[in-house]
Amino acid sequence: MDLDFNQIVPYIPFVLEGIWATLQFVIVSIVVGLLLGTVLALCKITKISILRVFANVYTSIFRGTPLILQLMLIHYAVPQITGYDIPAFLSAILAFGLNSAAYVSEIIRAGIMAVDKGQIEAAEALGVPYKPMMLHIIMPQAVKNILPALMNEFITLTKESAIVSTIGYLDLMRRAQIVQADIYRAFEPLLFAGAIYWVMVFILTKIGGLVERRLRQSD
Amino acid sequence: MISATEITKVFGKNTVLKNISTTINKGEVVAIIGPSGSGKSTFLRCLNLLEEPTSGEIAIKDVKMTNKNKLEIRKNIGMVFQQFNLFPHMTVLENVTYAPRKVKNIPNDRAHEIAKELLAKVGLTDKEDAYPNRLSGGQKQRVAIARALAMEPEIMLFDEPTSALDPEMVKEVLDVMKDLANTGMTMVIVTHEMNFAKEVADRVMFLDDGVLMEEGEPEEFFNNPSTDRAQDFLSKVL
Ligand SMILES: Nc1ncnc2c1ncn2[C@@H]1O[C@H](COP(=O)(O)OP(=O)(O)OP(=O)(O)O)[C@@H](O)[C@H]1O
Ligand SMILES: [Mg+2]
Repeated sequence: MDLDFNQIVPYIPFVLEGIWATLQFVIVSIVVGLLLGTVLALCKITKISILRVFANVYTSIFRGTPLILQLMLIHYAVPQITGYDIPAFLSAILAFGLNSAAYVSEIIRAGIMAVDKGQIEAAEALGVPYKPMMLHIIMPQAVKNILPALMNEFITLTKESAIVSTIGYLDLMRRAQIVQADIYRAFEPLLFAGAIYWVMVFILTKIGGLVERRLRQSD
Repeated sequence: MISATEITKVFGKNTVLKNISTTINKGEVVAIIGPSGSGKSTFLRCLNLLEEPTSGEIAIKDVKMTNKNKLEIRKNIGMVFQQFNLFPHMTVLENVTYAPRKVKNIPNDRAHEIAKELLAKVGLTDKEDAYPNRLSGGQKQRVAIARALAMEPEIMLFDEPTSALDPEMVKEVLDVMKDLANTGMTMVIVTHEMNFAKEVADRVMFLDDGVLMEEGEPEEFFNNPSTDRAQDFLSKVL
């Protein structure tokens, strides 16, 4: 076995640019997932049954089918149906954002449900209406359950982001594959990309640990 | 002050309260006693509609309580729980001022004044800025009482306020409740503290298996219970 990293040196800037490409759509996807996931979570805990059913069906579909299939559907089926040639970036944030929303909504719902029932009773007994109760009493406590699980979701999303390479989006993974085709060597560029993914996840994990420690301090 | 008319509560197939009617007058202190699972907490929770009766109605000051007006009426009914249920992310002072500020829209300064007065009354002036997890059980329960009183209610409900406390802390909480009873507060207290009921209550309600078996003056009830169930119960707990 001979490894020769010299050959990829000229390609390093090209691959590194992939970090930004990856981060760009991961961050946008996370924001989309968070916003939509919060709305879905609220739908899941309301008394209005049609919203609850909608949110549950939504979650079931997006969690019950492969992400790569959702991505392919959005990227290739949308043009077929609407004639609109959807850019890879848009497909990517749609697929990842919509998919992540399903997971995020579950995390938020579970975080809210985990708050002691006695808290709701105490608030209700004081005559506190629903909105301020959620805002001032339930949510601040739910956040402690939610944040650590959300960090995990972000980490998963960052790793899974590599599958956007299949629709031609020039992310980290895609660039590694292009280098691979160029120099007829697989190991070095993939290893290089792998190291970068690992560093990104490592940093996210550290941030997650920090967040968790801060939360525990305030207990 | 409170009138309960033919309250029945069913959970699934389980009829937990069976046709309970009673009237509680202004300034009266009523102790609810009975075996575990007899429906004491459920009945108490019906009084402020935390639990919705399957049939029957609750009226507070002659106003029938409904889902529409319950938030409004609850402002006038304080409740104290066995597990305290203080808001853990708020300081003692914030716990006590929260509802007056957000529910009754009382200005901050005034809410603080009321809270400080109440905290002094329950002997916790020095704990204003502490978070609940820094307090002992007895202190937590006294804060919970202050929190409920901060709404300046005319009625106070207590669900076994001393059952979760270490024995040495029971007295400090009962003393606060006694003081409250002496101010003429209308109180309904679910309790296992028979001596406290004897001493403080104007009336005892004995629940058994969802039925209001007996009610009467403590003296009479504890010395001459008229039903077998009450005799049986008292022989076990006294
Ligand atoms: N939310 C609920 N759903 C179903 N069953 C319930 C619910 N709350 C209470 N019960 C049942 O109703 C019955 C009466 O309960 P309740 O808590 O009122 O009794 P209690 O007299 O307060 O007992 P304890 O002294 O143990 O507190 C019990 O059999 C209990 O299992
Ligand atoms: Mg009970």
